[in-house]
Amino acid sequence: MRLQRQLRRVAVLLVALGVWHVAAGAYVHAKALAAQELLAIAWQRTRAGEAVVRPWPHADTWPVARLAVPRLGVRQVVLADASGRSLAFGPGHLPGTALPGAAGNSVLVAHRDTHFAFLRELLPGDEVRIETARGDVRRYRVAASRVTRADDVWVTAGRGEERLTLVTCWPFDALQPGTPWRYVVVAVPAS
Amino acid sequence: MDAGNGRRCVPATWWAAGLSREMLNGEGRPPSPALALLQTILLATLTAIAVSVVLVAATVFFASRALAAETPARTTADAQQGSLLLRVDGDLVPVPVVRTEVTMRITGPIARVHVRQSFVNPADRWLEGVYVFPLPESAAVDGYRMRIGERSVEGELRERAAAKQAYAAARDAGRRAALLEQERPNLFTASVANIAPRDAIVVEIEYQQLARWDAGAFALRFPMVVGPRYVPRASGSVSAAVPDADRITPPVLRPESLPAGYVHNPVSMRIELAAGVPLGVLESPTHAIDVREHDDARYSASFAAETVPADRDFELRWSPRAGNAPQAILFGERTADATYALLMLLPPGSERRADARLPREAIYVIDTSGSMNGASIAQAREALQLALARLESGDRFNVIEFNSRLRALFDVPRPASAANVATASAWVGRLQAEGGTEMAPALHAALDGREHPGVVRQVVFLTDGAVGNEDELLRLVTARLGDSRLFTVGIGSAPNSHFMTRAAALGRGTFTYIGNVAEVREKMTALFAKLDAPVLKGVEVEWPGAEVEAWPARIPDLYAGEPVVVAARVRGGAGMVRVRGEQNGIAWTSEVGLAAADVQAGVGKRWARDKIDALADAERQAGTPEAKRAEIITVALAHGLVTRYTSLVAVDRTPVRPSQMALTSAPVPTLLPDGWIADSVLGPGAPLPQTATPAGLELRTGLVALAFGVLLLVALRERREN
Repeated sequence: MRLQRQLRRVAVLLVALGVWHVAAGAYVHAKALAAQELLAIAWQRTRAGEAVVRPWPHADTWPVARLAVPRLGVRQVVLADASGRSLAFGPGHLPGTALPGAAGNSVLVAHRDTHFAFLRELLPGDEVRIETARGDVRRYRVAASRVTRADDVWVTAGRGEERLTLVTCWPFDALQPGTPWRYVVVAVPAS
Repeated sequence: MDAGNGRRCVPATWWAAGLSREMLNGEGRPPSPALALLQTILLATLTAIAVSVVLVAATVFFASRALAAETPARTTADAQQGSLLLRVDGDLVPVPVVRTEVTMRITGPIARVHVRQSFVNPADRWLEGVYVFPLPESAAVDGYRMRIGERSVEGELRERAAAKQAYAAARDAGRRAALLEQERPNLFTASVANIAPRDAIVVEIEYQQLARWDAGAFALRFPMVVGPRYVPRASGSVSAAVPDADRITPPVLRPESLPAGYVHNPVSMRIELAAGVPLGVLESPTHAIDVREHDDARYSASFAAETVPADRDFELRWSPRAGNAPQAILFGERTADATYALLMLLPPGSERRADARLPREAIYVIDTSGSMNGASIAQAREALQLALARLESGDRFNVIEFNSRLRALFDVPRPASAANVATASAWVGRLQAEGGTEMAPALHAALDGREHPGVVRQVVFLTDGAVGNEDELLRLVTARLGDSRLFTVGIGSAPNSHFMTRAAALGRGTFTYIGNVAEVREKMTALFAKLDAPVLKGVEVEWPGAEVEAWPARIPDLYAGEPVVVAARVRGGAGMVRVRGEQNGIAWTSEVGLAAADVQAGVGKRWARDKIDALADAERQAGTPEAKRAEIITVALAHGLVTRYTSLVAVDRTPVRPSQMALTSAPVPTLLPDGWIADSVLGPGAPLPQTATPAGLELRTGLVALAFGVLLLVALRERREN
């Protein structure tokens, strides 16, 4: 009887632990989805001409562009800055690289298991669109994708020519978050 | 623990446990319900934690194994062993390194330069190295050979496409081959194929160069590095202005990625100088050099350090002792069909005249692009402050800065009142360097294409010229010059001097090169002297009775201290050359007999090089690409010169690479010019952000724990019901 009771306690604790872990995991995804809804509203205001629209009070980031992949039905608002905090809400523009849609190499970064999970589905030739705050829509074509080290400087190197670089962690299925590898998709202007 | 303490614990423990039914109904007296409860909770927690830890460890273990299986075997551990890795076709390869040994033999103003490049392959595989490197813009490359041990394979000049084809055929057949192509008059690409694993191939390049005489001294430059060039986005297509953008932008190493004490692309230098006259000064403003003096006004010099990294241009300067300044220097070379002559002549009486200074309109243009960040912008700011300080009342001025955008201090030039100059000075002090180098709008704004009667309009353009669309910009200078004069000032450790020399020539001004901050005052003062002194116009060079083709076709206006330099092919004639001009209303004539010429090999090549430059200018003005292609190729082939249409190729006869071994092509990365700030031109260098959330791990761990828990509960319930 005593053993049974103790086993029962273990079972209850296991269930509690499981619920807690699942909730933590689901929270990441929920945050990523919900934030994009709020960001869509902030994006409308940005498009209407407001600068630095904070999507919610005390937000430390704001929308700078919208990214779309028609073939995969992807539509995401890109945020200024690529800190861990803003990456929870959407793809981030790597500071120091060209703004999305501008001349130069524009680097966008997002989580491999939320916003940029679709990168593994991208194929050479796929169209990627960037809508800028001024309302221009720039079309890019996926030129190449490759795996590089996180400190590979060629990814962010800009030599003037317009380019869109999408970066996420690699491998996609790894459970461990801290990988030294990055999956890089390079898209060039479609003309 | 004593009993009293235990009893006091009881209420607290009950409270914490949440008073579950089983816990309150606890049976069995001894030891005590509280202790039993504590024991159970502890056991349960520990078990849960242990299970959780085991689960996490198991998932991580399997994930790591999967990751390791997919990870390329080579990692940064290899990089620590002294060679740098570069990603080529998704694979990390140790990059080829180029060691350069330079020997300069200088006679008077003529330098014969021998450049020995060793392409070192640190990899365990066969490599093709591709190296983009600069040479002086006036260099006439005439010698090229590949050295394999004791043997040497002479280079052969061919049309570019044919040379490339010969090279590619040899490369694919496994034979050693070397190819030298010109991308810009001062920018070359060397390709060397089939360098054996951990071996090297040596390539030797020879050229001749005329030292530049200016303000009482000879100066000779050996450029070592090509700054990353800004390739502007033309309207419409991305790189219409720079179709060869990828050929002129080699990968650049970030300084912080280099191991301490590692000299990348090391250069050594040996100089032998037969000046002819005793020298007052022999120095380098860019590098520390050791100088030794021998008999008969002969000198030798070398770098104080054995090798220096190829991260800045080298400049050597020497000036004769007072009273020994040359008035005229003449070199000749006689070939089967003609005599070639190279004349350098200093016009008499080019001192400054103090009277009748016309009012000026001075437009100062400063490049504030990312490549100027660091030492360069500091130099430029100081130079501008000096320029502002010399404005006189009656002058008008404006300051324009440009990077990706254009910003002018005033809408229109304003009088140089004390207040306006003070405003400008404060404005200049605040300038920061960042962004692109959109130079065309700046040239457009500074050169207005109009005539300005009664006013001398001078445009002073401070930049490092790190642009890739030179042709487009030079066309703009010609089209919009009007009666303005364009003075280019090269800033930084590796300015694009080809572009700035041509721009100044087309802009009828001069080019001033400032190599380091310490030189700003001296160089700018010399430039101001030129801006203030009367210009020597209408200089004519005559070769009586001879059939002559001389370059430049028209002698440009000369500023104070500048010599007439002309290269000519002469057939027949009276054996003399006459230079005439007029200054301050006084006509002057100088005559030099051709018989007095020092015989010097390479004068013919210099003439051919000048002719090709003139043809290239004409081609640019015509606006049709390759308009003068046939003419340039004819001259180049006749004189064995590398041009944009002709290349040198050297091919070994026997194959060395077994056909089953693959060849990897790798660019030789270059260094960032000294003083440049990597982030400003290369983008941020910090590692790419971490972009994996623990969501997957959390979900999986949670689900597994949940499954175990529920299973256990169900099992217990079934047992109880039984």
